[in-house]
Amino acid sequence: MDEAMGLSELLRPIRSRLGAAVGLQAVAAVVAVVPFAAVAELARVLLADGPVDASRAWTVAAVAAGALVVWVLLTGLAGVIAHHADLDFQLSVRRRMVDRLGRVPLGWFTDRGAGGIGKAVQHDVDTMHHLVAHAALNLTASVLTPLVSLAYLFWVDWRMALITLIPIAVGVASIVRAAKRMGGRSAELDGAQQRISSRVVEFVEGIAVVKMFGQAGRAHRKYAQAADDFADFFLAWIAKAYRASAVAELAFSPVTVLLAVLVGGTAMVSAGQLEAVDLLPFAILGIGVAGPMQALHHYSHDVERSSAAAKRVGALLAAPELPVSPRPRLPEASRVELSRVSFGYDAQRPVLREIDLVLEPGTVTALVGASGSGKTTLAKLLPRFFDPTSGAVTIGGVDVRDIAPERLYRLVTFVLQDVQLLDATVRDNIRLARPDADDETVQRAARAAAIAERIEALPRGYDSVVGRDVRFSGGEAQRISIARAILADTPIVVLDEATAHADPESEALIQDALSELAAGRTVLVVAHRLATVVGADRIVVLDGGRIVEQGTHEELLAADGRYARMWRLQEQVGAALAGGPR
Amino acid sequence: MIERLFTALGPEHDRALRRLLSLLGAAAVLQGLAFALLVPALRELLGGAPAGAWPWVVALALLWAGYAVVNYSGTLTGFRTGARLSRDLHHRIGDKVAQLPLAWFTADRVGGLGRLATQRVLDIMGVPANLLRQLVDASVTPLVVVAAMFLFDWRLAASMTVAAAVVALVYRAAGRRMQAADRAADRVHAAAAGRIVEFARAQPVLRAFGRTVEGHAALDAALAEQHGAGHRTLRAGVPGVLGLGAVAQASFVALLALGTHFALGGSLGAAELIAVLVLAARFVQPVILIAELGGALRVAENALEEINSLLATPTLPEPEVSRPTCGVDIELDAVRFGYDGTPVLNGLSMRVPQGAMTALVGPSGAGKTTVIKLIARFFDPDAGAVRVGGVDVRDLRTEELMSLISVVFQDVYLFDGSILDNVRIGRPDATDEEVRAAARTARVDDIAERLPGGWDAPVGEGGSRLSGGERQRISIARALLKNTPIVLFDEPTAALDAENEHALQQAMAALARDRTVLVIAHRLHTLRGADHIVVLDGGRAVEAGSHEELLALEGRYARFWRERQRAQGWRLVGRA
Repeated sequence: MDEAMGLSELLRPIRSRLGAAVGLQAVAAVVAVVPFAAVAELARVLLADGPVDASRAWTVAAVAAGALVVWVLLTGLAGVIAHHADLDFQLSVRRRMVDRLGRVPLGWFTDRGAGGIGKAVQHDVDTMHHLVAHAALNLTASVLTPLVSLAYLFWVDWRMALITLIPIAVGVASIVRAAKRMGGRSAELDGAQQRISSRVVEFVEGIAVVKMFGQAGRAHRKYAQAADDFADFFLAWIAKAYRASAVAELAFSPVTVLLAVLVGGTAMVSAGQLEAVDLLPFAILGIGVAGPMQALHHYSHDVERSSAAAKRVGALLAAPELPVSPRPRLPEASRVELSRVSFGYDAQRPVLREIDLVLEPGTVTALVGASGSGKTTLAKLLPRFFDPTSGAVTIGGVDVRDIAPERLYRLVTFVLQDVQLLDATVRDNIRLARPDADDETVQRAARAAAIAERIEALPRGYDSVVGRDVRFSGGEAQRISIARAILADTPIVVLDEATAHADPESEALIQDALSELAAGRTVLVVAHRLATVVGADRIVVLDGGRIVEQGTHEELLAADGRYARMWRLQEQVGAALAGGPR
Repeated sequence: MIERLFTALGPEHDRALRRLLSLLGAAAVLQGLAFALLVPALRELLGGAPAGAWPWVVALALLWAGYAVVNYSGTLTGFRTGARLSRDLHHRIGDKVAQLPLAWFTADRVGGLGRLATQRVLDIMGVPANLLRQLVDASVTPLVVVAAMFLFDWRLAASMTVAAAVVALVYRAAGRRMQAADRAADRVHAAAAGRIVEFARAQPVLRAFGRTVEGHAALDAALAEQHGAGHRTLRAGVPGVLGLGAVAQASFVALLALGTHFALGGSLGAAELIAVLVLAARFVQPVILIAELGGALRVAENALEEINSLLATPTLPEPEVSRPTCGVDIELDAVRFGYDGTPVLNGLSMRVPQGAMTALVGPSGAGKTTVIKLIARFFDPDAGAVRVGGVDVRDLRTEELMSLISVVFQDVYLFDGSILDNVRIGRPDATDEEVRAAARTARVDDIAERLPGGWDAPVGEGGSRLSGGERQRISIARALLKNTPIVLFDEPTAALDAENEHALQQAMAALARDRTVLVIAHRLHTLRGADHIVVLDGGRAVEAGSHEELLALEGRYARFWRERQRAQGWRLVGRA
């Protein structure tokens, strides 16, 4: 019920156009019968006793011709209207999906790969094309034309009509039987397909491993198994019904209907029960009745696929948004405070518990702890990648949820571990936060981030398009992202210190750039190497989502707790292995 | 289309396909003949001699019996061929993928493979099961009908022949226009898809800089462009589809008019005309069907083309038998290599002596990872040679080479399974005890302790539940278990927390013991511990020697070392 409403909701903007297309198609479906009926009428005129009424014969021929022209025009028009509506529909749905992607909490993305999202927006919307542009029209034509034909045939002679229906009835019965046998297992078919798909992904992604461990030259065992399972399943699945399907195919075939019509017709004409002329509509229209029904059977698969796609699109459009306050407030200061903040991606696994933390303006606060301790998650709460499940994050006393998003981003910048450059010019990449920044400003930021030289050495300089004109190394991309942050010039900066062990030239430059960025701002840094943040105003030690210790480096060493242990371990790693791993 | 199907399925399906095609062809011919029988039968009935129709009806019944046999077995053969083909297609794809050089696997190709093995295979399965019959019916039956028409009235038959020729021409022209428009639309589509993936992937950055949908104009432009391309495709396609329908219908109208003219003029019997018109209706319907089949045909053709081009991708040649190796030292001799024309290695010569640890250093992009991949023969050099134990790796069979080498990459892929399963990949026939021992040596036991479920804890798809350092430790455990004389190791560049770093170093030390090791070094202590260091720059070895020798040289390595140490001592904020 829900999905159905989802689909009709999706289609609302083009509903009137689709309705018009269906209307035209309906008229066309009725008109389609006329030319064939006209042949029978022509026969009556030509075979009538006495002199032939030539003008009447021509009239009949003209009506048939006219009907054909009308049919071509109407179906064409219906198709064009439906396709145009579909194109507009695709654009509007894609825009809505993209819009939604820009509003969901970022946590939503972690469960779904970007590739999967791309598939939903492009592939699934494409798949719906059939549903929108074809299904309604096909259904109209495939149902209406046979119905009108049959009505006409019954009007001509109901006994012959019944005879014509015999093979069709056999065919329908067979299809129903086949569907009954196969129907219950179509979910299983989906499952088998799903398994193959995930095995392929696993196989391909892990290809290096497959190659390295002696299974080279042969497909990965699990994949091969999934392929065999799928084939076995599919053969067993169709084996249940393919005889019935083949019988239906034969029963619906024009040759079979023709045989029924001619045997019945010849018998009835011979017996004087039927005018020979009245047999003609059956020979022309009767044979064609089964065709569309068969097509209907084929279409059903496409419709199923489209509906499944529509369901996924609907689900994406229904993804919960990060709420935006209706009456946004503007913070006056940049003091950041987290009070009793808890957060979990799902209810069973809390990542942060009861965090209380204050970032005084102009100070550097470092978050340290083992991987999985929640330090990156904590940092991401400031720019509202997620909202806390309880507690509040405030800036200048205002809850971040009450700050309009565009204002929030003027307050907080985030430099990420995982650098993302856009396929745009270097200039646009740097001035991402302030698209109207002039060249002078962009260059100053690039210089501060120690990347200007590299950019200016490019043939097209700041106009070089990332990914096409230039490929930046990891370290270079890092510095461009720092230039972005410098240009954004926000009072609060959240940093992920993850640059260690890039190539040495690059690393030192990145570090210079980071120091430049940190100067004079309120900084929250996620630190991996303790040495980096020895001078921080405050070091916060996280473990299992809780703050277990905080203070300056000296205070924490003196406390001889978790931090002191981590520090000693790190020192020891350096010392013990100074001789090398021998 | 049919040719492509043969190529995709391979020679072992040739017979089944030919059988199917001949069954379908026979059915289509019989169907055309059955329609032709309508003419004499109706002539007798309309001519007032219904009894004269019986022989024809009997003939039709006999024809039907033959048709029924051929049609029924054709349908069954089609279903079976379609169903069986999935197994072979999947295996052909899988075997091919396993042989492809690793350079082939770019992100978009990997994404495409998933679709290829599911949706595309299903699309192709539908070809013998449904599409082929419709195609054969729609092309053969009308021809039989036209041929039969010559028996009854050559003038009408001639006009029908002209109509058939026009239909064929319109069909081809429409097909070409569609193809061109399709190709253009595909390009636009791919561009928009790229923007969407970028938009999703770059969400954190776009959000952090306040750029939401309104801010990402490039995406909206790509969507609008896609909309425009859709309109262009539509404009290109409409005349074809409409034209085909119009021509088919027009041929019927022409026949109707011509026939009426002849009948009124007395040169054609009324009964004959009517019978011929009934027959002509059998010509029109399949042609209209072909127009409607267009979409399904294109889908199937694209699927076949995709699979065929995958199967036609060249793979690395392999010898019948390996040449025997002597020792396990590694040598690169004047090796040149580039990716898509961008040179990476420019005549690199270097040695990795047996039983020692050689470290490879150099700026990013210097080709360090390429060296490892060339040794493991992920691809072949453009010039020069890579030798292991004195034998060119191209003269070794893959199994042979792989039995000598373990590679530990930075970016480690784990299969969806338990920790133990993932370690066991190193040597599938190892006992549980051996697997655990290797895992303990690589400090994987710490990971098992951390995760609920211990050794049997699932690692998540691609290893998503583990950190990068933890994944690499599992990879080291695999290498320990595999126990090869040569280890190629790509040290992680990313920062690890103290505990992880500590564990990783211990694991690596265990692996390096008594083996020939080539390591791409990022850590100072690794360099200090290496027996031999090779400095790569600009695709060549610019310096080589021990740590002390190179420091004394005061060249690139010495500079590198100092920068490294400076970076090591860096602090985000100075001490107050």
